[in-house]
Amino acid sequence: MLGYIIRRVVQSVLVLLVVGLVAFSMFRFVGDPVDNMLGQERTQADIDRLRADLGLDQPFVVQYWRFLQGAVEGNFGVSYRQGRPVADIIAERAPATLELAAVSGLLAISLGIILGVYTAIRREGWASHLIMTLSLVGVSLPTFLIGILLIYVFSVELDLLPSFGRGETVMVGNWSTGFLTASGWQALILPSITLGLYQMTLIMRLVRAEMLEVLRQDYVKFARARGLSERVVNFRHALKNTLVPVITVTGLQLGSIIAFAIITETVFQWPGVGLLFINAIQFVDIPVMAAYLMLISVMFVAINLIVDLLYVAVDPRLRTDEGRT
Amino acid sequence: MKPLGMAAIAALMCSAASAETFTWAGTTDPQTMDPHAVNSAPVLGFLNNVYEGLVRRGKDMTIEPALATSWEVIGDGEGWRFTLREGVTFHDGALFDAEDVVFSYERASSEPADVKGWFAPVAEVVKVDDYTVDVMTASPNPIFPDSIANWMIMDSGWAETNNATLPDKDNGNFATLNANGTGAFMVQDRQPGLETTLVPYEGWWGEVEHNITQATFKPIQNPATAVAALLSGDVDMINPVPIQDASRLSSSDGVQVIQGIEARVIMLGFAHDAETLKYGTGEGDPNPFADVRVRQAVAQAVNVPAILQTIMRGNAEPASQLVSPAMRGFSATQDARPDYDVAAAKALLAEAGYPDGFGFGLKCPNDRYLNDEAVCQAVVSMLAQVGITAELDAMPVRNYWPELREDNFDMYLLGWSPGTFDHEHPVRFLASTPNEEKKLGSWNFGGYSNARIDELLPMIQSEIDDAKRQAMIDEVTALYQGDHAYVTMYVQPLVWGTGSNINLTQRPDNFFILRWVTVN
Repeated sequence: MLGYIIRRVVQSVLVLLVVGLVAFSMFRFVGDPVDNMLGQERTQADIDRLRADLGLDQPFVVQYWRFLQGAVEGNFGVSYRQGRPVADIIAERAPATLELAAVSGLLAISLGIILGVYTAIRREGWASHLIMTLSLVGVSLPTFLIGILLIYVFSVELDLLPSFGRGETVMVGNWSTGFLTASGWQALILPSITLGLYQMTLIMRLVRAEMLEVLRQDYVKFARARGLSERVVNFRHALKNTLVPVITVTGLQLGSIIAFAIITETVFQWPGVGLLFINAIQFVDIPVMAAYLMLISVMFVAINLIVDLLYVAVDPRLRTDEGRT
Repeated sequence: MKPLGMAAIAALMCSAASAETFTWAGTTDPQTMDPHAVNSAPVLGFLNNVYEGLVRRGKDMTIEPALATSWEVIGDGEGWRFTLREGVTFHDGALFDAEDVVFSYERASSEPADVKGWFAPVAEVVKVDDYTVDVMTASPNPIFPDSIANWMIMDSGWAETNNATLPDKDNGNFATLNANGTGAFMVQDRQPGLETTLVPYEGWWGEVEHNITQATFKPIQNPATAVAALLSGDVDMINPVPIQDASRLSSSDGVQVIQGIEARVIMLGFAHDAETLKYGTGEGDPNPFADVRVRQAVAQAVNVPAILQTIMRGNAEPASQLVSPAMRGFSATQDARPDYDVAAAKALLAEAGYPDGFGFGLKCPNDRYLNDEAVCQAVVSMLAQVGITAELDAMPVRNYWPELREDNFDMYLLGWSPGTFDHEHPVRFLASTPNEEKKLGSWNFGGYSNARIDELLPMIQSEIDDAKRQAMIDEVTALYQGDHAYVTMYVQPLVWGTGSNINLTQRPDNFFILRWVTVN
């Protein structure tokens, strides 16, 4: 067991290092930051000097090595665009993304499960057919379009909700939260629907499929034969048994909610790390891009590692395999 | 209710009605509040509301007094004497005087300052008395007052107290996040990348035209989001409005579109000094663009009015030279573009030895200028009509400049906005033979060279007499037009959107001046 864990951790670190290497080899295709940093009056000498100062004249492997050296000490460098430490900038922007991800995650899970159960139980009802058809929209429409559509309907036409931004925020320690003001909550509604819609339809379809499978099982028939109420059969016996795969998928989706917040944040001008990353690409702000990519890959690797370890805990067969080798 | 109470409520309501908050959105957040650290339009444009220079630009771009009340040439052009305005205070209450001007010169011309290039002609700045300053130049400099409208004055005491005597672009200092100018507005709150709030400065020396009590700038990158924010009333003004949305916005209720032309001229450039073509089917063949007849053929094959009508939706003006008519030194005698004439273009190509045309590569940015890639596509199809086949390679601007610096082009698209708003500027950067040492021709990627222009430029730079200077500029213009050094196509439009209750003035440099805004 311990050997398995150690091997998985070592593998995860390797994955991280490779992600970083690939990222750094790509940065020179993103463009050259020096033109953005120097004005119209720049000379070739200025360009060469700045490139040398930033270490951009070095091969990417050397740049990567320098980044790793700093990263080990918790120093991710200074943003080219903002002239401030990258760690500070990310810490400042992270609450916006995490709050948005939390709300859309909750929305996706609760609505997804409720609608999934409903469409499984009333399989032939017209409401179920409607929900299933609409869920196709959620799966197939790009996030970008959904966001613009929601803005158009709820901000421009109905004038109910703000079209962009985070509303008023309150500082709780170092954490800026939008949960404590009315305008903060209003501003959360459209972006969290936009971000959570895909995950919601995914969870809903998954719950529905699992429920239909479970409802066919013998123990459900027995439960019915015992004269239990439909409610108890559906929720105590059937739903409980569908949740194992749902929880696994949801856990993995949590990572993608944070990572794919980039598009939602761009559409709604949401001041999170995703918007920061987009701006960094436009400005070729390499320290910010590198830190963001590493952060996201650490998150994914960590989630996968935890899931793998949970499997070991749950599934005894993995442990016996380990014993044999 | 007692009459007295009624009166009090009425008074309260009045004051509430006259409290005008204003919110505007642009694509780029100013990187810093330090007026000397970064030489970029978003920073200088924003800080023009907070800091002031010795001179400033009026609604029509003319130079007018600001912190200096008057200025005159010293002797035969050894420098300029500025008489400073008395009784001006900075936002923190400190008095403005000659010390601050000398200090701001030293700060803005220091090594870490991005704007130090403005002071290349300056030998020294001397305090004569508390309200007189002499700026000595190495050689006579007729346009010096014109070139310093964005040189903003900072309080020497404030900078020393807060350890910000030099700009620090890389790591930032107190002046990066805080501002203390003499301008009509003070920075009340600054959250980089989120919003910046300004309030009027009660002690401002000038006459107040605006009725704003609080103004907030918010960056919105996505154009569709900005348009929605304007339509829903979340913001009062957006810059820019996407060209394709302009007509839709102007027909919507509650909003209006304000159009003008910018200072930026969009043009095609050629590889003048290349031996061979580098792209397309003609790769490796001798470079046809070295021949002036081929360049003229390109100029006559490009149908600029059609581009303006279709791609720019009638929002831009054709350009005959490297500057727009709003700029100083515009050559009125040379205000004619080559006619659009396919037959003439074909004849010129045949004469130059290319009766069957040739193939080459056109480089183009796709996120730098308004509809830049679409314009390049139109140029490609227009050139095809005279038999020359361009292979279009469009890319983001962050990749584009490195390619041009590496000479990886046969023909390219360029936009130029003269930083000094004077014709001398593009002549120095685009039409002079590249010379690293003298800082000439640093954006002349194609290596265009005309000995007479190189000879005339220093004379233009030091000619104090305006008529003689203009005559030389006219000569230079005729030379680069005759050489078809660039195909100048059009002046890029400015398209802003505002609520219909907003009055403002749009300046050709795309600076948004808050003190000209009234909210009705």
